[in-house]
Amino acid sequence: MGALTLRGITKRYGTVVACDAVDLDVERGEIHGLLGENGAGKSTLMRILLGLETRDAGTILRDGRPVTAGSPREAVALGIGMVHQHFSLVEPLTVWENVILGDTGRIRRSRACAEIHEMSQRYGLPVDPLATVASLSAGERQRVELIKCLRRDPAVLILDEPTSVLTRAESAELFAVLRRVVRSEGRAVVLISHKLAEITAATDRVTVLRHGRVVFRSATAATDVAELARQMVGREVADAAALGLIPAAPHVPEKAQGDPALRIRGLTAPGLTGIDLEVRPGEIAGLYGAEGNGQAQIGDVLCGLVTPDAGTVEVGGVPVDLRTPGALHTAGLGIVPEDRHRAAVVPAMSVAANLTMKDLGTRVWLDRRRLRRRARELAAEFGVVATSLDAPLSSLSGGNQQRVVLARELSGDPRVLVLAQPTQGLDVGAAEDLHERLRRCAHDGMAVLLISTEIEEVLGLADRVLVIASGRVAGELHAAEATPEQLGMLVGGGAG
Amino acid sequence: MNLLDDLGTVLSSSLRLTAPLAFAACGEYLAERAGTLNISVEAMMLGAAFSSVAVAGATGSATTGLAAGVLTGALIGLIHGNLAHRLTINTFVVGLVLNALVLGLTSFLIAGATFGSRPPQRWPLLLLPGIVLLTWWLVERSRWGLELRAVGENPRAADMTGIRVGLRRRQALLWCGALAGLGGAYLAVGEVGSFNQNMTAGRGYLVIAAVIFGGWRLGRTLVGCAVFGLADALRLALPALGVTLNSQLLIAAPYLLALLAMVLFATRHRRPRALGKPFVRQEP
Ligand SMILES: Nc1ncnc2c1ncn2[C@@H]1O[C@H](COP(=O)(O)OP(=O)(O)OP(=O)(O)O)[C@@H](O)[C@H]1O
Ligand SMILES: [Mg+2]
Repeated sequence: MGALTLRGITKRYGTVVACDAVDLDVERGEIHGLLGENGAGKSTLMRILLGLETRDAGTILRDGRPVTAGSPREAVALGIGMVHQHFSLVEPLTVWENVILGDTGRIRRSRACAEIHEMSQRYGLPVDPLATVASLSAGERQRVELIKCLRRDPAVLILDEPTSVLTRAESAELFAVLRRVVRSEGRAVVLISHKLAEITAATDRVTVLRHGRVVFRSATAATDVAELARQMVGREVADAAALGLIPAAPHVPEKAQGDPALRIRGLTAPGLTGIDLEVRPGEIAGLYGAEGNGQAQIGDVLCGLVTPDAGTVEVGGVPVDLRTPGALHTAGLGIVPEDRHRAAVVPAMSVAANLTMKDLGTRVWLDRRRLRRRARELAAEFGVVATSLDAPLSSLSGGNQQRVVLARELSGDPRVLVLAQPTQGLDVGAAEDLHERLRRCAHDGMAVLLISTEIEEVLGLADRVLVIASGRVAGELHAAEATPEQLGMLVGGGAG
Repeated sequence: MNLLDDLGTVLSSSLRLTAPLAFAACGEYLAERAGTLNISVEAMMLGAAFSSVAVAGATGSATTGLAAGVLTGALIGLIHGNLAHRLTINTFVVGLVLNALVLGLTSFLIAGATFGSRPPQRWPLLLLPGIVLLTWWLVERSRWGLELRAVGENPRAADMTGIRVGLRRRQALLWCGALAGLGGAYLAVGEVGSFNQNMTAGRGYLVIAAVIFGGWRLGRTLVGCAVFGLADALRLALPALGVTLNSQLLIAAPYLLALLAMVLFATRHRRPRALGKPFVRQEP
C-alpha cells in the first residue's frame, strides 16, 4: 500500500487543463521524482495535495484511506508537508519564530531553540535558531524550511524545485539529508526538479507529466537523462548544457573582434571590489562562481537596483550614468536579472503588459492593438503557455514567468545582453532553445554576458570564462583551456 | 503668574491630551503590524466619543460611558475588518466611507440631542501604562502576536503554514477598534465632559502619522503621540500666557508638526511588508 496514491486527479483553469486524470503512486521509503516541462502541472498537483487548490475530480489516498486537505493546516494533520518553489519564510522573523509558526499553545523560546538544535544535529542541517531569516543565504533558508517541515513529522514530504537556488554542494547536502529521512525514518519524498542529472542521481522512481498527463513512469535505474528529456518535451534534446552534463568536446569560440560593447572598470559596491570586465560584440562571456560571491550584486548594479560606490560602466564606448533610472536600458543593455520576481515582472499585471513593458512606443497614448499583436508574437516565439494574454502573470507556471522575461529582454534586440541564471526554472527543452538563441545572438554580433553558477552552462556556452570569487575576478580562461577542474580551482582559490 | 506653574499646567494638560492619542496608537500599532492600514481610526474615536457621552448621560455613569465607547470602536473595527478582510474591499475606501459616515451620523444626532456637560473623569489615565505593556507583550511575546507579525510581513507564507490571514487581521482590527474607542471615549467623557461636532478633529490621522514616523515601533510611536499632545497643550496655553497668534493657524499646528516629523523621521525600514495589501489566496 502506497504512502500516497493519486487517482484521476483533474484540474482545469478555464480552457487550460493543468492536470488531466493524473495517477501517481508514492511508496514509503522512496524518493519519487516528478518531472515535466514548464506548465506541465507539477506545482498544481502538489498544491492540490496541500489544500492550496481544489481539484475538479479524482481521489487522494493516504495509506489507502481517501483524504482531502482543505488547507495547508489540514494537510499537515494528514501527514503531508511541503517545501515550496519560492521560499515561504517570513524574512524579518528569526529562525525559531519561523519554525514554530503555525503551532498552537504557549511560545517557549528556549524549548523551540533546543528542539531546532536537536533536529540540526539529527539531520545534519546546521542553522542558528536565533538568526534573522533575512540574513541567511539561500542554502541556509532551505535548511530552515526543511527543519520546519520535518518537525511536523510528515509521512510524505514534497519538495518543489528545491535546488534551483542552491549551490552544488548545498544540493548534495540536501540529497544526503533526504536519503536519511527516507531510509531510516520510512518517509516518502516527492522531488520536483528540472535538473535531470540530479533526478537520476537522487531518486528511486520517476513519473513524467506532459500537458497535465502522465506520459512516462519508470524506475530511475532503468532510464537515463536523455530518455527523461525526450519524455518531458517530446523530442530529442542534444544540448549537453541543458541536460546538466559537461560538454564532451570543448567549446570552440568564434572570433570576437572590435571594441568592447560592454566595459566595466573598477566596479565597487557592497559585495564587489574592483571588478574589471569586458565583453566584445559577438562573444559570450561567462561569469562563473559559487552562489554568494558577488554575481547577484553585479546583476543588481546592471539592473539599476544598486548604485555602485565606484567604477564605471561603458556601453559601446560611452560611459553610462548609473544613477539615472533606465540609463542602461537606453544605452542598449538588456538584462535578465536573477531575482525575476523582485526586479523583472509585475505579477498582478497581465501577461501581455509584462511582455511589452519596455516597448510601449514613444507616443503619449498606447497603441493597444500593436501591443497586443506584439505580445502575441512574442508569446508564440518563446512558447509562453497561458490561459490568455490578459491573465495576470502570477497565474503562469514558474517556468513560463521566466519565459516572459526572456522574451521581453531578448526582443528589444539590445547591443549588450546580460543574463543572470537564465535557465533557472526552465525545462530542458526551453533551456536548449535559450542556449541556441544565445549562440545565434552572439553570432549576429550581440555581446552576451552570462552570469551563472552552473558549470555545465558556462562550459557549454561561453567563449571566455571569468571566475568570480569573494567579489573579485579571480581569473580568466579561454573556452579551449577551461575545464571543470581548472574552474573549480579558481573558485576555491579565490574563496580561501 | 509664575513660570514654573505655567510649565506644570502645560505639562499636565499635554499628558491629558496625549492619552487619547496614545490609547488609539496602541491599537493602530498592533493593526499595522498585522498589515492592515485603517484610516478608520478617526471614525472609531469619533463614534466612541459620541456614544460614550450619550451613554454616560443616560446612565449617569462615566464607566458605563467608557465601556460603550470601547464597544463602539470595536464595532467599527469589526465592520472595517469584515469589509476589508473578508469581502476584500479596498481598505482605504472602507476607511474613507466609515469616517464620512460616522462624522455625518454623529453631527446629525448631536444636533437633535442635549447631553449636557459632566465633570471630567481623569482616572482612565491610569489604564494607559497597563495597556501599553499589554500591547507590547501581545505583539512581541504572544503566539497571537507572532502570527500577526507573520501576516503583516508575508501573508502568503503565513497562509501556507496554516494561519488564517483574514481572521488574524480582523482580530487585529477589533483590538484597534476597542483601543481607539477607549481613546475617543476618554477624550469626551474623561477630558472634555461633553461632545461637540467633529470633536476628534483628525486625531485619528495623527495616530496613524505617529505609528508611521515611529517606524512601527511602539516606544517611538508613543513619543510621537506625546509630541502631538504637547503641541496641542501649547496651543491651548499660549493665549493665557499672553501670546496672541491667529487661532486658526494654531489649530493647524499639530498637523503641520506631523507633516514635518514624517519628512524628518519617517523610515520605511521596519514597515511591515504587506502593509495595506489585501490577501487573496491564489498564485502558483
Ligand atoms: N491560478 C491559476 N490560474 C490560471 N491558470 C493557472 C493557475 N495556476 C496554474 N495555472 C496554469 O496551469 C498550468 C500548470 O501550471 P503549474 O504551475 O502546475 O506548472 P509546473 O509544472 O509547475 O511548471 P514549472 O516547471 O514552470 O513550474 C500552467 O499552464 C498555468 O498557466
Ligand atoms: Mg512549478
